[in-house]
Amino acid sequence: MYTQFFKHHWLKSLRAPGYYKNLIVNIFMGLSVLYFLVIFVLLGFTMPKILAEAAPHLDPAYTFNGGMIFVIVLALLIRFLFQPLSTVNLQSYQVLPIKRSKLVNYLLLKPLLNPANYLTLSFAIPFAITGINPAYGIGGAFRFIIIVIFIVWFTTLFATFLKRKFGSNILGIIAFLAIIAGVVALEYFKIFSIFEMSQRVFGFLIENPIGWILVLGLSVVAFVLNKWFFAQNYYPENFDKKTAKKQVETRNFTFMERFGKIGEIISLEMKLVLRHKRTKNVLYLLPIFLFYGLLFYPESMSQSSGALMFIAIFITGAAMIMFGQWIINWDGSYFDFLMTRNIDTRTYIRANFYALLALNFMSFIITTPYFLFGTHIIINHLVAFLYNVGVNTHIYLFGATFNTKRLDLSQRSAMNMQGVSYKNFLIIIPLLVVPMGLIGIFSLFDAKNIALIILALLGLGGIFFWRQLLKITEKQFLKRKYALCEGFRKKE
Amino acid sequence: MKTEEIRSTIDYSVPVPPPVPVNANTVIKAINLKKIYNGVAVLNIPEITIKNGESFGLVGNNGAGKTTFFRLILDLIEASSGEVRIDGEKVARRDDWKSKVGSFLDESFLIDFLTPEEYFNFTGKVYGKSEGDIAAFLESMKEFFNGEIIGSKKLIRDLSKGNQKKTGIAAALLPCPQILILDEPFTALDPTSQIRLKRMLNELKTTQNMTMLISSHDLNHVTEVCDRIVVLEKGLTVRDIHTTEDTLKELESYFAV
Repeated sequence: MYTQFFKHHWLKSLRAPGYYKNLIVNIFMGLSVLYFLVIFVLLGFTMPKILAEAAPHLDPAYTFNGGMIFVIVLALLIRFLFQPLSTVNLQSYQVLPIKRSKLVNYLLLKPLLNPANYLTLSFAIPFAITGINPAYGIGGAFRFIIIVIFIVWFTTLFATFLKRKFGSNILGIIAFLAIIAGVVALEYFKIFSIFEMSQRVFGFLIENPIGWILVLGLSVVAFVLNKWFFAQNYYPENFDKKTAKKQVETRNFTFMERFGKIGEIISLEMKLVLRHKRTKNVLYLLPIFLFYGLLFYPESMSQSSGALMFIAIFITGAAMIMFGQWIINWDGSYFDFLMTRNIDTRTYIRANFYALLALNFMSFIITTPYFLFGTHIIINHLVAFLYNVGVNTHIYLFGATFNTKRLDLSQRSAMNMQGVSYKNFLIIIPLLVVPMGLIGIFSLFDAKNIALIILALLGLGGIFFWRQLLKITEKQFLKRKYALCEGFRKKE
Repeated sequence: MKTEEIRSTIDYSVPVPPPVPVNANTVIKAINLKKIYNGVAVLNIPEITIKNGESFGLVGNNGAGKTTFFRLILDLIEASSGEVRIDGEKVARRDDWKSKVGSFLDESFLIDFLTPEEYFNFTGKVYGKSEGDIAAFLESMKEFFNGEIIGSKKLIRDLSKGNQKKTGIAAALLPCPQILILDEPFTALDPTSQIRLKRMLNELKTTQNMTMLISSHDLNHVTEVCDRIVVLEKGLTVRDIHTTEDTLKELESYFAV
């Protein structure tokens, strides 16, 4: 039976439309996994040195044990936020004579077979050799590796349980962060040291020949908790949010409706953002991107001017860059409707253009406090803003006509590549790489200002000729209309 | 009361509108219309005209080309050759016809993250209707909605299939279009709603002289609503019948293979 389930799962991913089309995205993902793999292995080998430098009076293995609890909590948090819940199309199996416990077991154990979960081993094995072996001997090193595997099981299972039980409740995350803050405070004021406790617990687990059984026990407990959850919530509607029906708080953007049809379309798009998981997640992530500059600007003199321009464009256009990637595409599920209503192409394109403009203005205004970092930042931001408004909005809108994949906005956002094609990566070139390269090349000849002037002029040109540029996009849109209609009708 | 007696007390009849005058204007005209997918012609219509006020029924088995024909009229797919004209103007890549046509083909005509009210409001505003117009229209739809769609505070994606269909049909009717295009409007509706819809369509025809294009798998329904029925088979028009009392029999014998 289980082999059948796995076969169906395999076929499902293999036969998903766009699997082959998405090859480039998959290659990109594969390369980034490889990158992390290498980094992890290197980190594993150099970790003892780093730890010895950080805490010279302690053996690196002991320091690591002390930090272990924090690593586990962090892993739980990351999994809670980003790990997708594994699902099968339960309803279509439920009506068949298959034991429910089999379905549940499959559902729970499937993620444990995901190789991505064992990426941790690429760090753990080198560290076991260089860090644990000197302190605990070969036996200890082996036990360490086994314990790491069981910890992976535990975090995977326990995070799924928490997620099923509490959902992606924002309050839950805040409560969690508050507890963490409390623990850090206890540690800081030396009232109670979690670090020392963790050190003792993990030291014992590694040293004791049967320590690993305790960790295995923890994963079993997490597994049983999950089983208990499913026993409590027998019917899929109780745990599958998609089938659950709920009433909604309807918000109206009456202020937008004053602007006629264009206002109507923009307020429709605002509702779209607020009522889908994926777009809402981006909305929550946006502040983090706006703070991106704080990482680099304090030492802005040591950064290359090309990189600074990249950051300037990225943060002054953050909202547009994040949401603009979906423009037009996110209307996919009701595209036929829009195309047959009394909305002419010109109005539709303009509404999208104004939406991008508004996003641009928004991020630019929010990022004005960065002006405090000095005149060169002010100039960079102004130039970036002109380039975003004059060039990037048009590039996004024109580029959107090429992306014919239907977006599923009800899915989670993190690491979600659904509806993404290589075209989304291609568009980065004119968007970010060209201005960055231009500045970079001109700075080599000590003529950064000329590059800034060129970028500003490009932006001003785009602003000056916006009507003509939109006309071109309209023509392009009409050319691609049927391809868009057809692509959006295909559900993945 | 016996069942027979109860039956006789309820009015099941659907009022029959007057026939279309012979000299009515042509509103939709398709010439040499062809759609070819992978070398196979899924639709091939040398010429077809639909007159003002006509109710045009389209029947045919799966894959006969009904939806393809409607999508071509609505400019949602590109014709391999030929063209569709509405009121003498080409449809392809134009916008003018959109103000005259109300349509509902499938769920991609619904904005599923809106409540039905928001959806009607958006549709109405796009056609330049005031809040009052929209409220008056929804009031007239009360019977059809059966008290379920308005005020439920549910999103369209959480409605049942039947209620989604009703929402889509109502949105197609909202702008009082000159031409109405519905793809299988009767499927997924409960029997009461089917009868109400038929009555509503015939009323619209009588009072507003609306031109209607309706496809259906239910031969009973189309013969009751449409005064002209076209049978499609593998993309070709094989019958073009003016509806009479014998039409239903004729169609049944055609499809009974």
